[in-house]
Amino acid sequence: MSKLKTNTIQHTGGSADNITLDNSQNVTIEGNATVDGTSTLTGNVTASGNLTVSGTTTISGYHPTTSRSNRNLIINGGFQIAQRSVSNNTAGSQSTYHTLDRWMTQIQAGTISEMRNDLTSSDTGPWQKGFRNYMRLLNQSGIGAGSAQYAEIDQRIEAQNVAQSGWDYTSSSSNITLSFWIRASVAQAYVAVIYTSDGTGRHYPFEIKDSGGSTLSANTWTKITKTIPGNSGITVNNDTGRGLTLSFLAAYGTNWTSNSGSFDSWNTTGGGNDRFPDMTNTWATTTNATFDITGVQLEVGSVATDFEHRSYGDELARCQRYYQVVVRASDYSSGIAPICNVIGYQTNNVFGVVDLPVTMRSEPTLDAVSSTAYWKCFRNAGSGDFNSIQLDQCSNSHVELNFYGVSSGTSIDADQPGWVRSNSSSAFIGLQSEL
Amino acid sequence: MALYKFGRKKTVDGVEQDSVVVVKDLGNGRTLCIPFANDNTDYQEYLKWVEAGNTAEAAD
Repeated sequence: MSKLKTNTIQHTGGSADNITLDNSQNVTIEGNATVDGTSTLTGNVTASGNLTVSGTTTISGYHPTTSRSNRNLIINGGFQIAQRSVSNNTAGSQSTYHTLDRWMTQIQAGTISEMRNDLTSSDTGPWQKGFRNYMRLLNQSGIGAGSAQYAEIDQRIEAQNVAQSGWDYTSSSSNITLSFWIRASVAQAYVAVIYTSDGTGRHYPFEIKDSGGSTLSANTWTKITKTIPGNSGITVNNDTGRGLTLSFLAAYGTNWTSNSGSFDSWNTTGGGNDRFPDMTNTWATTTNATFDITGVQLEVGSVATDFEHRSYGDELARCQRYYQVVVRASDYSSGIAPICNVIGYQTNNVFGVVDLPVTMRSEPTLDAVSSTAYWKCFRNAGSGDFNSIQLDQCSNSHVELNFYGVSSGTSIDADQPGWVRSNSSSAFIGLQSEL
Repeated sequence: MALYKFGRKKTVDGVEQDSVVVVKDLGNGRTLCIPFANDNTDYQEYLKWVEAGNTAEAAD
């Protein structure tokens, strides 16, 4: 048996070493290594670059540095859930929730339509990635480019979800990465912004551009990814308040912009309105312009991983922490839906308790539509119709409902038990504890 | 008519209780019944309205 002793191996036509050996039994391969047979590595392997595997990889121990489940801080990022409505004409100064859960629409003037639309197989890009819905802002009236104007889609993220996400938001070397699909009928530079609310407010604006750094093409779905570092000035409380706000801007007037703010960096929001450089406002002045978003993911780390698709039920439950429907009578052809058991507290004044399927963020507001005989109370082989409903005591997980004002039928006495149903297709009870 | 009105009161053991909600009338039969809960953003909005010098209507 012979032994070859050498420190380096070099190709006859090369000018640098291919393989280097040291006296600690280490081997360094300077270029690519191709193994046609089986390779067994018993020590640690470090790949400082990308590792591409064309076949199946079996890993006996797997330790990713970022979370693989529950990694998307955005709720309803695939725009599946629309408990309130799938469309709404939003007019005048509005900052509220009308359609898709967790997504607030804000405009200052004019009328826009906001809606959940379906994707089809011709929506190249998001369809193939498993998305079936998107949110659209339709500039119905040509809202105009007034200096006070804005048209945006926001999601406010609960602070404790950010504080406990694993993002070291005070470190400039710790990142979060935002990814989403966007399409607009007007080719212009759009803007997205991340805001913090606790302590001294900060915001990080950036222009939405394709991977080549160009303005979006009209009517073309484009995947955007943006990695954002932490900042020592950021404060996020570990509570149920507002932690981060993500805003997609279709229009933003010059009342809110100037050249004193910068893109791609954290700015101090403070009480000032000059948040970032002026934004092109062609979209705002174009009647029937559209602005579409889907597949929104915000995750800890420097890499945009594939979207974390969740089941409808999982996503609905997450949304119900902030809004839930107790009864929407129009969902039932008869307009009749059960609500709760009740007991007469006084004559024609009944109370019942509704147990909520998901604990809400705060004690919720009752959002109700009621009128004459909207609620029917059954008891003792008879019924009576109530006109009014009010919230009484509530907690994050239970609400007391008070029905009163009998308009027809038999009265209900104190101490009589019964149950209440909706009695009109327009009857509605929702609960909200939005941020 | 004020934007907000205190919710109706209950009488318990012969004693009239304070309102536990404030009601915002949105028109067309739609109302918001807002509990007096500090982390409820509708209540926070109501408090700002009060701070601006407004007063809710008395309960029925």
